[in-house]
Amino acid sequence: MKKKTLAKFQPYVWLLPSVVLMVSMIVIPIISVFKISFSEVGRSGLVRGFNGIQNYLDIFDEPTFWHTLQNTVIWTVVVVGVSTVFGFVLAMVLNQEFKGRKIVRAVVIFPWATALIIQSVIWKYIINADYGSLNILLKKIGLIKNFVNWTKTAGSMFGWECWVGIFVTFPFVTFCVLSGLQSIDGSLYESASVDGASFWQKLFKITLPLVAPSLTVSTVLNIIYVFNSFPIVWTISKGAPADQTHTLVTYLYQLSFTDGKGGHAAAVSVIGFVILAFCASIYMILSLRGEEES
Amino acid sequence: MASKRKSWQTILLYVFIAVLCVVILYPYFVMFITALKDKKEMYEIGHILPEVWRWSNFSDIWTAAPVFKYLTNSMVIAGGATFLAILCGIPAAYALARMRFKGKGIFMGAVIMSQMFSPVVLLVGIYRMMVNINLNDTIMGLILLNAAFNQAFAIWLLRGTFMGISPEMEQAAKIDGCGTVKALIKVLLPMAAPGIITTLIFVFINAWNEYTIALTLISTDVFKPITVGINVFYGFNFIQWQYLFATSLFATIPVVVLFLAIEKHLVAGLTSGGVKG
Repeated sequence: MKKKTLAKFQPYVWLLPSVVLMVSMIVIPIISVFKISFSEVGRSGLVRGFNGIQNYLDIFDEPTFWHTLQNTVIWTVVVVGVSTVFGFVLAMVLNQEFKGRKIVRAVVIFPWATALIIQSVIWKYIINADYGSLNILLKKIGLIKNFVNWTKTAGSMFGWECWVGIFVTFPFVTFCVLSGLQSIDGSLYESASVDGASFWQKLFKITLPLVAPSLTVSTVLNIIYVFNSFPIVWTISKGAPADQTHTLVTYLYQLSFTDGKGGHAAAVSVIGFVILAFCASIYMILSLRGEEES
Repeated sequence: MASKRKSWQTILLYVFIAVLCVVILYPYFVMFITALKDKKEMYEIGHILPEVWRWSNFSDIWTAAPVFKYLTNSMVIAGGATFLAILCGIPAAYALARMRFKGKGIFMGAVIMSQMFSPVVLLVGIYRMMVNINLNDTIMGLILLNAAFNQAFAIWLLRGTFMGISPEMEQAAKIDGCGTVKALIKVLLPMAAPGIITTLIFVFINAWNEYTIALTLISTDVFKPITVGINVFYGFNFIQWQYLFATSLFATIPVVVLFLAIEKHLVAGLTSGGVKG
């Protein structure tokens, strides 16, 4: 009898270390952020007590917040969208047989494996207006006469940040799609060709449906990573000029650790959660559905 | 498909591939070339390649800043976080792969959900908690946080690996008198070694490349990992690009090599372990 009860609890014992680690390091900060978002916080970080939804109202009154929210949507949609399309096309190319394919695959790994902070610093140097290597290169090959200030406007600054974002994001899509493509039976294409199917018909009728699961994983994970991506924007512009290029995460970092507005920062965090939780629930429904099928 | 390719298609393919490789490798070329330039040349305009190849930059960085200390810290943080993440992840992944119990679906959901909360959006709470438990500005704090935020991936990859291995061998071992733990260690883990190594390396790389938590929590110079440490060359109005990039190379090369080693296993694990289990 005793042994039976023990056996019943056994799975939970196996889960315990993992649960303790995640609850103490992830769940407690989540609770803390929610609490702080409804509290008045002094400049020193001291929590002075409950003040209802005042932090949220303050944030909603800030034009910077709305601009930042808009930036975050543009940033996420552009970076994930372009990366997904380009990553997919590249996977199709890399799935062909050609000389040097292995080398190209290795090269595509580089941006994925490099620390974001290092990648960001290099690009900041490349696009520097006074001595950046892009200006030097373009002048040498005669494409420009005088050095160009690549980040003159907030829009151009943000554009470059999106470029770096895409640069580090597309390899993940490529490799996810490649793993999907490689499991497709080649005879499917052959019989389709015999039936006279065009390239586009094969793409939409065979390839896309079969790599859809891989594409879903990469898209959903990328939405989360890109939405939360901090080092690129923080390194290249820190939100400058005039807080025009923030995304939610750099904005909340500045609010909390530069401006000493912990309460406002926590409110922005919670707004970020709500948006992410929405994405997360879609993802969870999709994954658990896949779970049941297999 | 390959056999039917026309010659103009082949040319187009190679042009596309060549342009792609040049664009991807360009930042790395810039990093390498700039790391070899002389300090004086840095703000002079005009040359792509260094006028004087300063190989000594690679030896100067070690005395210009505590670069060795930063690299050691990164090693300790990433190594510690990996160890902890795997130590907690193996039993959890085992339970999820082999046992039936109430709340399994909820736990799986929670694991997937936890991935959605990046440390950045939790920084306000993390910082406060770490101050409260006196782990702010410590290497131990970074180890715990990195292990926790990589727990989802570790469980996910390990569970996928375990599920790909038939339970028959363990059952046979149990009939021979092994306990569950012994069967796990003696039978399953050796068979799952490739998947475990992939997970180890992946978590290690993530922790090694982590920047945001370390930037926020660590203020004492001797506790900084390399990603934050390189900022010493990034003065307010004077940036020592040559040292910054020389150091960055030392921080980049090992992880790129590790990544190349696991790429094949990793991608298969991420997509299959995640969606289909």
